Amino acid sequence: MAAPAIQLHALSHRYDTDPVLRDIDLTIEHGEIFGFLGHNGAGKTTAINILTTLIAPTSGSAQVCGHDVVRQRGEVTACIGYLPAEVRMYGHLTAAENLAFFATLSGVPHPRRAAAETLAYLECADLANLRVSTFSSGMRQRIGIAQAIVHRPQVLFLDEPTTGLDPFGVRQLRETILQLNADLGMTVFMNTHLLGEVSKVCTTIGVLNHGELIYKDSIEETTRRFPDEASLEDIYVRMGSDSA
Amino acid sequence: MIGTIATHQLVALRRQRVFAALLASFVLVSALAGLLGWSSNHTISRVYDEAAKLMVATGQPPPPNPFLLKPALSLLSNMVVYVPLIGALFAVVLGHLSVVEDEASGLGRLLFSRHITRTQYAMGKVTSAAVALVIALGASMGVSALSLLVVNHALAVSDVARLGLFYALSWLYLMSFVLIGIIAVLVTHRRSLALLSAMGAWLVLTFVVPQFTSGLRPTQSLNPIIEPIGTSQRFFQITAHGQPFSVVEQYKATAAVILNTAPAEATGQLALRLLPVAALAAILLLITLKLVQRHDFSRSASNE
Amino acid sequence: MSDQTVTTRVTGARRARVLAIAKHEYRAAVRSRILLILVVLLILVTAASVYIASAGYAAKLAEYETYRAAAQAQGLDRIAPTPLAALSLLRGPLEYLEIIGAVIAISLGYLSVSRERINRTLPLIRTRPVTAGEQATGTFLGAMGVFATLVATTIAVGIVSIGLLGRDWVNPGELFQIALTAVAALLYLGAFYCLGAIATAKSRFAANGLVIALGIWLLVVLVLPQIGDTMDADNQLPGGLFQALALDHDGELAVLQHFTGYERIRTGIEEASLSKHFERFAFAMSDVKDRYRPYNLPWLLNETRNDIAWLLAYAVAMFVGLRRSFRTQPTIPPGGTP
Repeated sequence: MAAPAIQLHALSHRYDTDPVLRDIDLTIEHGEIFGFLGHNGAGKTTAINILTTLIAPTSGSAQVCGHDVVRQRGEVTACIGYLPAEVRMYGHLTAAENLAFFATLSGVPHPRRAAAETLAYLECADLANLRVSTFSSGMRQRIGIAQAIVHRPQVLFLDEPTTGLDPFGVRQLRETILQLNADLGMTVFMNTHLLGEVSKVCTTIGVLNHGELIYKDSIEETTRRFPDEASLEDIYVRMGSDSA
Repeated sequence: MIGTIATHQLVALRRQRVFAALLASFVLVSALAGLLGWSSNHTISRVYDEAAKLMVATGQPPPPNPFLLKPALSLLSNMVVYVPLIGALFAVVLGHLSVVEDEASGLGRLLFSRHITRTQYAMGKVTSAAVALVIALGASMGVSALSLLVVNHALAVSDVARLGLFYALSWLYLMSFVLIGIIAVLVTHRRSLALLSAMGAWLVLTFVVPQFTSGLRPTQSLNPIIEPIGTSQRFFQITAHGQPFSVVEQYKATAAVILNTAPAEATGQLALRLLPVAALAAILLLITLKLVQRHDFSRSASNE
Repeated sequence: MSDQTVTTRVTGARRARVLAIAKHEYRAAVRSRILLILVVLLILVTAASVYIASAGYAAKLAEYETYRAAAQAQGLDRIAPTPLAALSLLRGPLEYLEIIGAVIAISLGYLSVSRERINRTLPLIRTRPVTAGEQATGTFLGAMGVFATLVATTIAVGIVSIGLLGRDWVNPGELFQIALTAVAALLYLGAFYCLGAIATAKSRFAANGLVIALGIWLLVVLVLPQIGDTMDADNQLPGGLFQALALDHDGELAVLQHFTGYERIRTGIEEASLSKHFERFAFAMSDVKDRYRPYNLPWLLNETRNDIAWLLAYAVAMFVGLRRSFRTQPTIPPGGTP
C-alpha cells in the first residue's frame, strides 16, 4: 500500500522556549486538497516550513510521500512544490527564465520547454518574455504558482496563497488549484484564514489553535456535524471558543 | 524643529551597532597612528645609536640625530591618511544612516504630515551628522593628544592649537562625505545602490582625481607625504590646472602645513588651499537642501 | 541499473544544478546596474592610467631611440640596452584591480546574498533538491565568471593601450606572464567576493554586512600595507633615514642586523594583507619592480612562491567560509525582515 502523501506523528516545534506546534498527529492521503486553518501565529507557517524541509522539528516526525523530512531531504524536495506567502521572484529575469532556472534545479530534463508548457497550462504564456519586475502582485503570484508546479510535484504546499490578490485573482487561484488536483492528481496542502475559499476548494480541513490540532475532517462531515451553523466561519468561531 | 530632528537622529544613531563599530574603529586608528608615530621615533633613535656606534668605530664623526629634525606633531602624520580613508568611510556611512531609515520604513510620509518644513528636516539631519562627527573627531583628538603627551612627555600650547586646527579641517573635509552619503540615498531607489554610489564617489575623489591632476598612482595616494612628480607631459600640463580642485590633495597639503610636517605657507596660500574643501561642502549642502525639497517621500524604498 | 550508473547520474545532476546556479549568478551580475557602474568606472580609470603611463613611456622610448641613433652614428660598439619595460605600464590597472576590483568583488558577494533575501527566493531554492554547498559553489563559480570577464577586459584595454600609445606590443612570453597575473587576480577577487557574501549572510540587515565587509576591505587593502610601509625604517624621514645618517649600503645592512625582530613584525603586518601578496606577485610578473626585470619566469615563480601560497590559502579559506555561512544562513529571515 502506498504511503500517505503527508504523515505527521507527535510533531512539535518550539522557538527558543515558546512552543509553536504541540504533538500533532495528522495524515493526508494522495489527491486530497487540505485546508489548514488557524488564527495568526497559530503555527500554520511553521508546519509548512517543517514539511518543506526548511526547518527541522524539535521533536516528533514528519513524512512527505513516505520520506522523512529530516533524514531524506533530497527525496522530499524532489516530490514537493512550494509557494511561500508574498513571493517576489527574480525581478531582473523574465517569467520564462525564472521558471527554467527553478526547473533546472529540480532536475527537469528540458527546463525551457517545461517553463513554456507550464505558462501555457496556467494560461499566461503572454507573460513568458516579460521581466518579473514589471508585474503586478497578481501576475507575480501566478508565476509563483508556475514555479511551484513546473517540475510536476506530487504534493503542493501553498502558504496563504490569496495574500494580496483581488477577488478576480482569488477566483482564478481557486480554479487553478482545482484544475491541478483534477488534471495532475496533485495533493494540495494550503494554509489560509479565508474560510470562504476553503469551503469552495478543500476536500478536508484541519484547525490549528495555539499550536494544537483541534479538529480534522472532510468538508461534508464538518457541515453535517455542525448543522446549526450557517457558514464555515461560524463553525470556526465555535471551535475557537470551545477550545479556549 | 531642527533641534528635535537632530536630537531624535542622534538617539537613533547611538542605537545603531554599525555606527558604534565604525566610531570605535576610528578612535582605534587614532591610537594606531600614535603607536606608529612612537614606533617611528623609537626606531629612528635606535638606528641613530647603532649608526653612531658604527661610525665612531670606523673613525668617522657621528652625524646629528635626525630625530631632532622631526617636528613634535609628525607623530600623527598617519592621521592625514586615515582621515581620507577610514574617516571618509565613516562619514559616508554616517550620512547614509542619517536618512536611510526614514526612506526604508516610509517614515518620511508620517513626518511631512506634521508641521515641519523640508528645509528644517534636512538641516536637522545634517546637524545631527555634524554633531556625531564632532563627537568622533573629538574622541580621536583626545587619543591623539594623549599619544603626544606619552611620547614627547610634553604638549606645548601651540601644538594643542595646531591639533585643534587639524581636527577642524578634518571635520570640514569629512562633512562633504557625510553629505555625499545623504545625497546618494536621496537620488537612488535602493539602499545598496545608495551606499555603493557614495563609495564610488569616494573612490573617484580619493584615488582617480589625484591620478589625473598629479599623476599619483592609487597606492601613492596612501602616502602621507605627497611627492612632487614630473609633469613634463602635455597631458599633465593641462590636467594640473585642476589640482586646486582635488580636495584630497588640498586636504593633505593643508594638514601637513598645520601639523608642521611640511614647510610653512603664507596664510593667504593656506586659505586658497582650504577654499575648495569648504566650497565642496557648501555646494553639497545646497544640493542636499534642493534634493530634499523635490524628493518623493510618499514612496517607501523598502528594498535593500 | 548498476551502482556506477546511479552514481554517474547523481554526479551529473549535481553538476547540472551547480552550473545552473553559476549561470544564474553570472546573468544577475551582468544585469545589475550597480555593478555596471562600478565596472565602467574601473575600465575608464584603467584606460586613463595606461594612457598617462604610456604617454611618458613613449617620450622615454623616443629619447632612447635618439640616443641609440646617435651612438650608432658615432660608431659605438656597446650601446646600453633600453631600461624600459612595456609591461610595467600595467601597474596602474593592477593597482586599480587591487583597490576598485576588490570593492566590485565585495559588492557582487553582497548582491548574491541580498538578492535572494529581497526576492524572497531562498526558500524556493532550498525546497528544491539543492544543498547549501552546491548553492555556494554555484554562486562562487558564477562570480568567478564575472571576474574573468572583468580581468580579461581590464588587461585587454591595458595591452591595446600599451601597443597603440606606448608603441610596444607584448610578446608571447610576456602574454603568459600576464595570464598568470590574471589567475592571481581571480584568486584575489574571489576571496573578496566570499568576504562580501559571508558578511551579508551573517548580518540581520544585508546593508550592515556590506558596511562591515567594506570596513575589512579598508583594513586589508589600504591600512595594513600602509602600516607596513610606514614602519619601514628607511621611510621614517623624507629622503630616507640612512641617507640622512650618511650610511652606505654595507652600513645600512650592519645597522639593520640589530632590527631583525622589528623587521619581522613589519613583515608580519604586510603578510596579513592579501593585497600585498597579490601586489608583489603581479608586480613581479609585469616587470613593475626593476629588481625583477633581469630574471626569467621560473626564477620569478620561485621568488614569489610565498605570495602564491598566501593567495591560494586566503582564497581557499574564504571559500570554505562561504560554504559554511551558506549552510548556516537562516532560510527564513529572522524577524521576517528581508
